Amino acid sequence: MAEITTEEITVTDFAVREHRSLWVDAWRRLASSNTARLGMFIVAFFILSTTFSHFFWEYEPKKDLNYSLKLKPPTLIPNEEVPSVHPFGTDKLGRDIFRRVVHGGWNSLRVGIVAVSISLFFGGLTGLFTGFYENIDTTHIERLVLFGLTGLVLGSLSAWVAAQPIQAIFFAILGVIAAYFKNFQKGKALRMVVFTIAGALIGAILGAFVSGAAALISLIWGAITGALLSRPLDGKFFSNVMMRLMDIILSFPGYLLAIAIVAFLGPGLEKGMIAIGVVGIPVYARLTRSAVLSVSQKEYILAAQSVGEGHGRIIFRHITPNILSPIIVQTTMGLAGAILSAAALGFLGLGAIPPEPEWGAMLGDSYRYLTSGAWWAVLFPGLAIMFSVLGFNLLGDGLRDALDPKLRT
Amino acid sequence: MSRYIIRRIFSVIPTLIGVTFVIFMFQRLIPGDPAVAMLGEHATEESVERLREQFGLNRPLFLDREALAKGDIAGFFDSQYIRYMNRLVHLDMGESIHRRIPVLETLKIRFPATIELAFFAMFIAIIIGIPTGIISAANRNTPIDSISMIGSLVGVSMPIFWLGLMEIMLFAVMLQWLPAGGRISVGIEIESITNLYLVDSVLTANWVGFKDASEHIILPAIALATIPMGIIARMTRSSMLDVLQEDYIRTAKAKGLGRSLVLFRHALKNASLPVVTIVGLQMGTLLAGAVLTETIFSWPGIGRWVYDGILGRDYPIVQGGTLVIAFVFIGVNFFVDIMYAFLDPRIRYN
Repeated sequence: MAEITTEEITVTDFAVREHRSLWVDAWRRLASSNTARLGMFIVAFFILSTTFSHFFWEYEPKKDLNYSLKLKPPTLIPNEEVPSVHPFGTDKLGRDIFRRVVHGGWNSLRVGIVAVSISLFFGGLTGLFTGFYENIDTTHIERLVLFGLTGLVLGSLSAWVAAQPIQAIFFAILGVIAAYFKNFQKGKALRMVVFTIAGALIGAILGAFVSGAAALISLIWGAITGALLSRPLDGKFFSNVMMRLMDIILSFPGYLLAIAIVAFLGPGLEKGMIAIGVVGIPVYARLTRSAVLSVSQKEYILAAQSVGEGHGRIIFRHITPNILSPIIVQTTMGLAGAILSAAALGFLGLGAIPPEPEWGAMLGDSYRYLTSGAWWAVLFPGLAIMFSVLGFNLLGDGLRDALDPKLRT
Repeated sequence: MSRYIIRRIFSVIPTLIGVTFVIFMFQRLIPGDPAVAMLGEHATEESVERLREQFGLNRPLFLDREALAKGDIAGFFDSQYIRYMNRLVHLDMGESIHRRIPVLETLKIRFPATIELAFFAMFIAIIIGIPTGIISAANRNTPIDSISMIGSLVGVSMPIFWLGLMEIMLFAVMLQWLPAGGRISVGIEIESITNLYLVDSVLTANWVGFKDASEHIILPAIALATIPMGIIARMTRSSMLDVLQEDYIRTAKAKGLGRSLVLFRHALKNASLPVVTIVGLQMGTLLAGAVLTETIFSWPGIGRWVYDGILGRDYPIVQGGTLVIAFVFIGVNFFVDIMYAFLDPRIRYN
């Protein structure tokens, strides 16, 4: 019978676990999932191959032309007819499709990344602020800014109509006054009457310098502005206005809006990035806003408020880190969507300007030759789009499971 | 409930007005003069000016500040936007610049084509997507689950224009089973009642027409169905999994009910709410017209029409088409919201 010495027994205290941060935990969960690993592999493959080929494999699209090799099927072994290797065949100008697919990835992925950055930046900020001010009491200075801006915006309409910039400033001042005397006749009809008359007077007197009709219009508009400024506007008002604006963008179908924006800006890769980015803003705004709403009533936010931390600090130091998970997931999935939209724009001839290689544009270039049997010119760029999008989607799915175990299904 | 509906209607109105505003503004911001576009490059200065006058294109966009400065209030409101809204209220969307056909007339033919395609595609997406989701959830973490979920993710990741091209190559070019595009073959007439060819041909008992129209719709519908199919399957699965963890499912299993009874009677019913929502939202997207699918299959729908309008600077078409698309989109979303509140009373009181 073997002796058991005390040295051989390692004591494991199950109550005290090795310290792991949230992110390390999430990473372990991510790495343990097969589908997420597949996604990471695909994404890494595309990013590395396109980046390396962009920097280390020269390609000049403008000089790439060889009519003698027009629309040749994939050739792995050079023969008399096709003296060079073309694993994916050649297109209508005799260009090697493999080369163009690899280089096209640089453009396609870049559009995706820049577009998502645009949506994320503007949408995320909108969502952060609207979500935060939705049910947090505004400070005195914030109210001054809110009222002042409301007055300025409404006033500039009447200023523009009467061609009298000074009106906007007067209405902004009226707003600041309304915010400053917030306790004057609080919630009483008298307050409304006073500010309505004040607004109407500002409009009428200033408008009278232009013409009688201008005075009348400014009077009506000024009265409306004054009445609105007499209301106890708060963060919720700001939030509502912003979300209505987002609703308007959302009520146009994405592709059509992107096409319209590109039609306005003119075709080109950069314009495509902007168009896809703008279309995505409301998605991120809504997501961020709902995430902020779900944490803004938590105890740690109340605690931060009660020790007197400023709103900016609360938003960026306490709220932002706690809503990152859904945003990271949405960003990953959004990359997939943006690559798909970029390809769609390219296909319609609104993305990359030829002969610049881009997956969607390559499809748009070649699909007319499908009926003459040139399937390779369409198959390979399409596969590249599909796999890269699939990779980001798989990764996004994996990230969702990894970052939020509660949602795990 | 009616209070909730009224509240929702009021919140939709500013969005609708905002949409007309944006559409109007976009049209005027896009470079190119519509009067020149109508008359061609070589038109005389004089005739361009006359046309501007005729269509009110020489009026200010929103409000006439100069008229106001002169004290003319009626002139102040006589702007392109107000005229546009006024025509809109009278259901006058103008006529196409290039073809001189009233926008409303074309819409009556084009929109049914999109509706038909959208409903057919959604039908395919539902009959495949929902069972896939249920099977996946019932066999959670088995190879069946993994395969169908990766399959539906592939569906979501599919560039549908590429899928459409592959379909054409396989079924129209190589196998020659189905036509490559269009809505109906040349020479086949279907008496138009609703302009939905499948419905019209059944109503008039025109079976040749019905067969031809169905052959034409299959390929584009499959292409269009792919993405919603994947989304619906994934939503059904995750919603079913949520419900399957509930106590009442355990109770039902514990008292010895059969597996399929628990799955369909107890779980599916309660899991259907998010699925209904997602179906509705996807329907809104499909009805908005599928520019890409319609382009590839030469489907004479609304998406393709507006796209051509944008490229050809045919303002009335773009305005009318986008407006209808946006209104339908808002309308469907509104309907989904109401349905949701109807099915889940908790929403109404929030």
